[in-house]
Amino acid sequence: METQSVWLGTLRAPVRLAMTVSVAITLLLMGWLIIDSSVDMNTMVRPEGNMVAIATLWSISISVLLSAIFLSDNKGSIEVTRKGPFDILALVLSRIAMIGTIILVLVMFYEVVSRYVFERPTLWANEMSLWMASFLFLLAGLYAMQQRSHIRIYIIYDLFPFWLKKVADIISVTLILFFVYSLVFGSYNTAKAKWDRFEAFGTAWDPPLPATLWPGLLILVSLVALQAVVNLITDWNDDSTHSPADEIDEIEIENMRRAVEEKKDA
Amino acid sequence: MLELLFGFAPVDIGTLSLILLLSMFALLAIGMPLGFASAFLAVLCLILKFGPDLLYGNFGRGPLAVLGQAVYRQMVNYVLISVPLFIFMAALLERSGIARDMYSSLNVWLSRTRGGIAIVTSIMAVIMAAMSGIIGGEVVLLGLIALPQMLRLGYNQNLAIGTICASGSLGTMIPPSIVLIFYGLVTETSIKALFTASFLPGFMLASFFIIYIIVRTRLDPDQAPLPPEDPNDPSANEKRMMFLGFLGLMGLGIVAALTLRNLFFTLTGANQIVEGVDPIKLGMVADLPYLAGAFVLFLAVVFGLVGKDRSLKGWEMGKGLVAPIVVIGVVLGSIYGGITGITEAAAMGVMAVFVIGVMRREMTFEIVWDAVMRTMKSTGTIIWVTIGAASLAGAYTLAGGPTYVANMIIGYDLPTMSIILVMMVIFLIMGMFMDWVGIVLLIMPVFLPIVLKLPVEELGFLGQLEKKHVAIWFGVVFCMNMQVSFLSPPFGPAAFYLKSVAPPHISLTDIFKGFLPFIAIQLVALSVLLIWPPIVTLLLP
Repeated sequence: METQSVWLGTLRAPVRLAMTVSVAITLLLMGWLIIDSSVDMNTMVRPEGNMVAIATLWSISISVLLSAIFLSDNKGSIEVTRKGPFDILALVLSRIAMIGTIILVLVMFYEVVSRYVFERPTLWANEMSLWMASFLFLLAGLYAMQQRSHIRIYIIYDLFPFWLKKVADIISVTLILFFVYSLVFGSYNTAKAKWDRFEAFGTAWDPPLPATLWPGLLILVSLVALQAVVNLITDWNDDSTHSPADEIDEIEIENMRRAVEEKKDA
Repeated sequence: MLELLFGFAPVDIGTLSLILLLSMFALLAIGMPLGFASAFLAVLCLILKFGPDLLYGNFGRGPLAVLGQAVYRQMVNYVLISVPLFIFMAALLERSGIARDMYSSLNVWLSRTRGGIAIVTSIMAVIMAAMSGIIGGEVVLLGLIALPQMLRLGYNQNLAIGTICASGSLGTMIPPSIVLIFYGLVTETSIKALFTASFLPGFMLASFFIIYIIVRTRLDPDQAPLPPEDPNDPSANEKRMMFLGFLGLMGLGIVAALTLRNLFFTLTGANQIVEGVDPIKLGMVADLPYLAGAFVLFLAVVFGLVGKDRSLKGWEMGKGLVAPIVVIGVVLGSIYGGITGITEAAAMGVMAVFVIGVMRREMTFEIVWDAVMRTMKSTGTIIWVTIGAASLAGAYTLAGGPTYVANMIIGYDLPTMSIILVMMVIFLIMGMFMDWVGIVLLIMPVFLPIVLKLPVEELGFLGQLEKKHVAIWFGVVFCMNMQVSFLSPPFGPAAFYLKSVAPPHISLTDIFKGFLPFIAIQLVALSVLLIWPPIVTLLLP
């Protein structure tokens, strides 16, 4: 993974060290929790007063954040080059979502095994998946905006002269801002009320899903709008045309070609 | 300014629909992303309906709350989680050598058949389609593996291209299919029922392809020359016996696994007969004798009929098929065995591909990370179309739009089948320019209510569809339409995927030319669905 640093520069090595340490601490704490049966998933979602649970939650958050920061320093083969400082936020958040996706698969697998093989279905896995996935979707939306991978139709746009393209872009971004403004306008009270009450999901495990998702939704959608503005500014001089072939990236094809050809050499 | 324009709100629903339609075209034309264009039009729809005073009078409340609720509802939709998981699974599959080994294994059996590689390509595409529901990667893989072989042997170029792309697009026609998942989400139809219903039409289309290949290569053998005779190659009869031996061994494995599962249930007492609880399929004590019988039968085939050595040789040649069958077994077995729903089945599929990859020593952190990055990017793209379209559909329904359109169409008193035909034409034309996600999310909420209002006895010409199956039938019909859209010029995505891996002398025009007979076959399959709708219900309980 020794690749060009995207933004950390000389901080890369310290961050890596901090990540390793925090992940190690998290694993130790989780191991402790598995042995110590007094702490169950109910304590984990409402940890008031339980020091081990609180410490574990903090350490999980810190290690996910540090891993995300470290991993965002590597540019993926399918990613566009970072164009401004604001992109860093989307990149770090996208790494959290990617780690989350892997955890999501593991949570679901755990649930299926414990339900089907051990006949001890968990009370928490379904709601945890839902809670995690809802945030994954929002973070992925921001990532797609930063990567400029939203579905657009370029047939007519590409025929425009440069100035008209920019006018069209400004209209697009203005309308996006208008939508986000309307969304926040209509739902601000709902989100605030749910957060103030810390409203829970109303199920057995009862995670504070509405309380967190409502504000999270408004914040992340606003970030998407902000990213749209940033994209408009950073792409201002871009006058490229598009074709459906842009969807396909050469490196991926090259990787697949290698996977297909490996055997023939052997 | 808005007050000046729409100070006289509300606007009547006919004008509103027209304004929305025209604005949608205008916004898409200036290159606004589809999801955001729909999201903005949702706001526009509310403004036209309620007037700006009511909407923007009080900060934090009012009818605009509809937007937040529409987005929130999508975010906490459990089935929607299956979409990133299936993408994740497909991304992992692409990078493993499973597809390549499957090709070699299939090719062994059919290498002496006229048009063998083309047939192998189609069969392989069906198997890959049953593993995951994403196209794109499939076309690229087939293009990398099968196209060089066919061109080297001197296959007709158009035949080779058409076979690869048409078969590679089957991914969304054979369950699990991401198109059907979205259709089910939008129309609140049972996704499991949609999957079951699409089995037969999907296989029908695949077999049409294969029949076409066989007929075409028999009529003109020059289009598909046979590979030179290999002296070490076993004779056709010998191969048949070896294949039988392979099937026997695989059957043994499956029966053994089922027996272990059954014994596990018996030991833990999970399969005790309880009133009102469905018995576990093949998991009850009473099923054990049948399993034992099947085991003996397969043993007899392997050791008696075929012989141990030949069976083992067959296994050696065919073992590339085992991994795909395991993956299919895990995903579809989880869904149809009543073990999990769609979402968890997708997660199990990810695990299955990962574990197989680890066993094949192919999985590295880089491959997993690259796959999950790809997943995030595609998910983010799809999720904003979902958010935008959900908001627009919510706002438009609040304004009474779908009912208005449905009543208007019904009011014209057109013959039922001609309304359906017009819809098909609209799907086909939109499919040329737009992604299926956009079509299913934006058009379906308007079209399906119309179809549901049409007299059910006039749907199709042969056989009778039940009222409760109309939504399922229309979903499968839609899926078949999207099959065409993957191939149709000028933007059929399959063509661009193939172009990226084809030798440079094959131009896009060549590729689209190769598609023509296959598009015709797809249209034939579509008309079968339209003429004889009950085909989708044959497998439904």
